[in-house]
Amino acid sequence: MCGIEFPTDSNVLVGLDRADDAGVYKVTDDIALIQTVDFFTPIVDDPYWFGQIAAANALSDVYAMGGVPKTAMNLVAFPIKEMDIAILRQIIKGGLDKMTEAGVVLIGGHSVEDKELKYGLSVTGFIHPDRILTKQNLKVGDRLVLTKPLGTGIVNTAVKGGLASADIIQRVTRLMATLNRDAAHIMGHYPVHACTDITGFGLLGHLAEMISDMPLGIRLISQEIPIIPEAVDYAGMGLVPAGAYKNREFRESMVDFALSVDRIVQDIFFDPQTSGGLLIGVEKDSAGGLVAELREKGIPEAAIIGEVVAEPKRRIEIH
Amino acid sequence: MKEIDCRGLACPAPVLQTKEAVEREHPNVIKVVVDNEASKENVSRFMKSQNLEVTIRQEGNDFHVIGTVGATPVGKAPVAETPEDAPKRIMVMVANDCMGHGDDELGEKLMLSFLKTLKEMGEDLWRLVFVNNGVKLTIRGSEVLSVIQEHDKAGIHILVCGTCLTHFNLLDQKRVGETTNMLDIVTAMQLADKVINI
Repeated sequence: MCGIEFPTDSNVLVGLDRADDAGVYKVTDDIALIQTVDFFTPIVDDPYWFGQIAAANALSDVYAMGGVPKTAMNLVAFPIKEMDIAILRQIIKGGLDKMTEAGVVLIGGHSVEDKELKYGLSVTGFIHPDRILTKQNLKVGDRLVLTKPLGTGIVNTAVKGGLASADIIQRVTRLMATLNRDAAHIMGHYPVHACTDITGFGLLGHLAEMISDMPLGIRLISQEIPIIPEAVDYAGMGLVPAGAYKNREFRESMVDFALSVDRIVQDIFFDPQTSGGLLIGVEKDSAGGLVAELREKGIPEAAIIGEVVAEPKRRIEIH
Repeated sequence: MKEIDCRGLACPAPVLQTKEAVEREHPNVIKVVVDNEASKENVSRFMKSQNLEVTIRQEGNDFHVIGTVGATPVGKAPVAETPEDAPKRIMVMVANDCMGHGDDELGEKLMLSFLKTLKEMGEDLWRLVFVNNGVKLTIRGSEVLSVIQEHDKAGIHILVCGTCLTHFNLLDQKRVGETTNMLDIVTAMQLADKVINI
């Protein structure tokens, strides 16, 4: 949004000046408001599951800030002349069930007629002003924990091409519909310095955001990074979404791959994710405990994937 | 030759059209025209997964991705293809005792870090060759000697130029690697999949 000046307000704790997962506005010394909005076109054929995924994805930004979502409004664009209204009902039901699971109340919404179906939420949540987790506060020595496996963009491309089996479609659908609520709740008990959720820029794009203004570097261990096994097969067949190539082009100059990291695996690290996991920067000595608790409480693929280093600055090395 | 125009199509459509054509018609040569980098990469990757030899030509804003069924001469057994995951043969040739030009103190640190980090190449690292000032890294008292010895233990073939050792009068001080000659070095270069000069 270059060239447009935005007003400032001292109560804005996280705003437009740095791109974070959600905006935060201080109401009192103990309460701050978190606001975010997200919507997109269908990524799975089943309308009920699309509704769940879109809602989980929109809610995730609040969790990534360390907050608790409380209320939401539906955003709907629907081709009412061409499509059966029953489809929209299924989508809304999926979204509502996800909100109920998250303890979030739907309090309104807005719909427009559009050639292309879109659904999402505007979400409001709360957080203590001193406990906001942005992308910007990593410290040298921190361990990086990822809570969901990568590869949903590639699998969705295979789904679009009719090349994915029913089994993998179901597994990835459930993965995308899984709330980041439990992961966020658990991380609240650990010394976490920074957090974001992995979405359109892929793992490496979001990591790059976390260090681009900091005197820090990142070292990742490729073998420790959880990936959906089928994504490797699909990527090898050329089912890589254009977004993954764009992400690579944009951030390649910050990334160094060891020769042992296969090109296909590299693409998975750049793969845009839908409703991806949390990427958590936690103090070194607490990382093992955090991952153990995440795994124990139903987040089996959580893993320590790397660490924050002092040198080389603003570079991501992948071994 | 089968030809498909996939310009204006977004991923994964070009791959799907290529797949359909390959599976239905089994063409010996297939040309797919695409107009963006992502499709170029994806179509060529798909062709490789089907064991086609791929060549890419740029024509204006378009890419012509051409897949050819491997030409195996009649009566000759197919050449055992190197599997994708087989180690490459990477030869690293070190011609100086510090890395880069400018500050020698920095250059020495970089060289130490470089030789340590080389193990990241894993099984692909094949030979380490030291020539000219580089041979000074292999002698008694060298800061990086232990690192090179580790590579030696890991089974990396270490070659040290004999002419160079003689020139610096260091022949008896070498503590790692095999003393070698220019013929060995040239042969190694020829056999290597990749030669990296430092």
